[in-house]
Amino acid sequence: MADFNIRSDSVNVEQIMQQIRARIREKRGVDYTEQQIRELAAANFERFLDPQGARPGLLERFRQDGTSPIENYSFEDTTLFESHRAPLRWIRRLLRPILKLFFNPNPLAHVLHMQAGINARHAHYTELSYELLHNLVLETTRLGVEVKNLKMRVESMSSRFDFAERRGRAIESLVHRRSESAVEEPPARGRTNRAQAAPAQPPPGQTAATGQPAAVRDTDQGGSAEARRRRRRRRGRRSGAGRVPGEGSQPVPADGADAGDDGSQPGTDDRTPETGGGRDGPADKPAGTDTPTPSDREGQ
Amino acid sequence: MRLAIVVQRYGPTIAGGAELHARHVTEHLSGFAEVEVLTSCARDYVTWRNELPPGRDVVNGVPVRRFPVRRPRSVERFARLSATVFHETHSVADELAWLDAEGPTSPKLIEYIRSNRATYDFFLFWSFRYYQAYHGAKAVADRAVLVPTAEREPAIGVSLFKPLLSGVRGVIYLTPEERDLVNGASGNGGIPSIVAGSGSEIPARIEPGRFRQKYGIQGPFAIYVGRIDRNKGCDELFEYFGQYATGERNPLQLVLCGNSILPIPDDPRIRHLGFVSDEDKFDGIAASDVLIMPSYYESLSIVALEAWALGKPVLANAKCDVLKGQCLRSNAGLFYQNADEFCEALSWFERLPDQARALGATGRAYFTRHYAWPVVEKQYVDLLDRLTREKRVGGGPLSDPLPGWWERRKRTLPPAEYVLETLPKGPSRRS
Repeated sequence: MADFNIRSDSVNVEQIMQQIRARIREKRGVDYTEQQIRELAAANFERFLDPQGARPGLLERFRQDGTSPIENYSFEDTTLFESHRAPLRWIRRLLRPILKLFFNPNPLAHVLHMQAGINARHAHYTELSYELLHNLVLETTRLGVEVKNLKMRVESMSSRFDFAERRGRAIESLVHRRSESAVEEPPARGRTNRAQAAPAQPPPGQTAATGQPAAVRDTDQGGSAEARRRRRRRRGRRSGAGRVPGEGSQPVPADGADAGDDGSQPGTDDRTPETGGGRDGPADKPAGTDTPTPSDREGQ
Repeated sequence: MRLAIVVQRYGPTIAGGAELHARHVTEHLSGFAEVEVLTSCARDYVTWRNELPPGRDVVNGVPVRRFPVRRPRSVERFARLSATVFHETHSVADELAWLDAEGPTSPKLIEYIRSNRATYDFFLFWSFRYYQAYHGAKAVADRAVLVPTAEREPAIGVSLFKPLLSGVRGVIYLTPEERDLVNGASGNGGIPSIVAGSGSEIPARIEPGRFRQKYGIQGPFAIYVGRIDRNKGCDELFEYFGQYATGERNPLQLVLCGNSILPIPDDPRIRHLGFVSDEDKFDGIAASDVLIMPSYYESLSIVALEAWALGKPVLANAKCDVLKGQCLRSNAGLFYQNADEFCEALSWFERLPDQARALGATGRAYFTRHYAWPVVEKQYVDLLDRLTREKRVGGGPLSDPLPGWWERRKRTLPPAEYVLETLPKGPSRRS
């Protein structure tokens, strides 16, 4: 036939298959081809047959003995009297009744006939046992590889589970801290939107704990609230120099965790020492979560 | 030139792979030479019962002579002898008895070939493993051309076939894998040979939309065309497809065309259409995204070639050397060795339709270059011309007499499956 190798510039089957296998490896961890499994099995087989290393050629011998056909003979009741010379055969047949006067050759012929059958069966069983042994070792190796892969998957699942658990805890603590801070502080300018959107937040103008109007609480706390307002005003004047007007009132996503995950507005949050990174930090990246997220792993 | 096509069965309704190939080649060669078909009266390859009348017939304009089979095959005897020849140390007599039991045993056909050897320039024998190929080629060794249609199965290790494969005048292989296998089994690399597949009659009008409308199929789908049988790897296909469908968000559907002797899984993503007409088959392949070929044993796979002719990529079972080799040579199909590769490959077709289309386009070019009928016809004619020019000196190994009565009964031949194990494996890289 003419040239068989038609190659398109855009596609190459071998490359595609390599990519496919690479993706499988990424998903599954260790990946062995059939040939590699067979090689591993051969190594196992060798170790299994020859654990002490006393007979280095044992595997080869077993392989040869197990697979090469064994020479056998057939033995019938006439075999004893056969000859390739016809006259001799004729004479033996003629004298057979006389021979039978001295001893009975039939049991002898019968036993030898049976022995030939036993030999044939034994040869067959040897072949079968070799094949069985070989297949068992192959299967054991395959299972070993499978167990290794499953172990890796369990480890991967366990790390994902840990990650999810930590993330869950971080979100819980975030919600908890938010509700606590909402009890401590009244809604302030620049934080109004966040406060309104927080899940455990009471209606505007009421505290979470008592449900009293905010003005009443301010009056009760007296001078300390006034001092806080003064501090905030001073801080606003200091940082206001380099800041774009209105930046402080930038809306913030209701859930700090989500804001951190999608990362759509980094650095635009109005994070004062009371309300900033310290609060949203755990949800953005919980402590000890350097482990890649599940979505990161898929992408690898 | 006068040619005799000798094949085990022949007829318009006989759909076996080798027989169909023989009929297509015969009909195409009839434009270049005077062709006559010599065959048996059988229609069923399991029993070889005489079902068609003996004597002359005409099939699609080609003259046919049918000869009766002496006795139908005894399945039990054939199975027993197959076990002996394939799995045990055996004798030449065992192999001859096995060949006789396999059939179609038609001494009248062999007698006709022997007595009419001068009537034909060449005898083209199909399927090396059958009675008519062995005895017929022995009768006319110097005019015999063999189309072995060999697969990776124990019959290739039967010692009787060694002189047949190496003693004919020429050999026509379907694939390079078949050539490597036969070369390994018989050492016949020196005799003239070609690798010529089979063309396919692709209809001029293809309507994928009509197929979708007729069967109510929407969305992308993979198609399987052929008998739904364990021997064709369909049980594995169902298992792998189940894994694929559960692991994907929007999996391809699987459409099955063909009679089933396996239970079809109860899955809404699998559609079984039953036996479909040729028109529906071609429209269905054209409407699909990929053709799946899960078979372990294929000597050519005409369906895969048809998919390529229609510009569709193929996903094949890599355990079949021929299919894997075809995918690699055509650069138009992916292959899978296990469930992971199957799932990932199908997912690849689903995710990258543009690249899948590029694979299909490469397949179409491959088909046009190697499997269009004019290409195949030319290869046959060139080989026959070459054999006409080159006269062979001596009878060759096929003319050697069989061993004597005593030697023939010596159990010294290794089991055929052992021989098979020693033969070359894997897809062929050379053309």
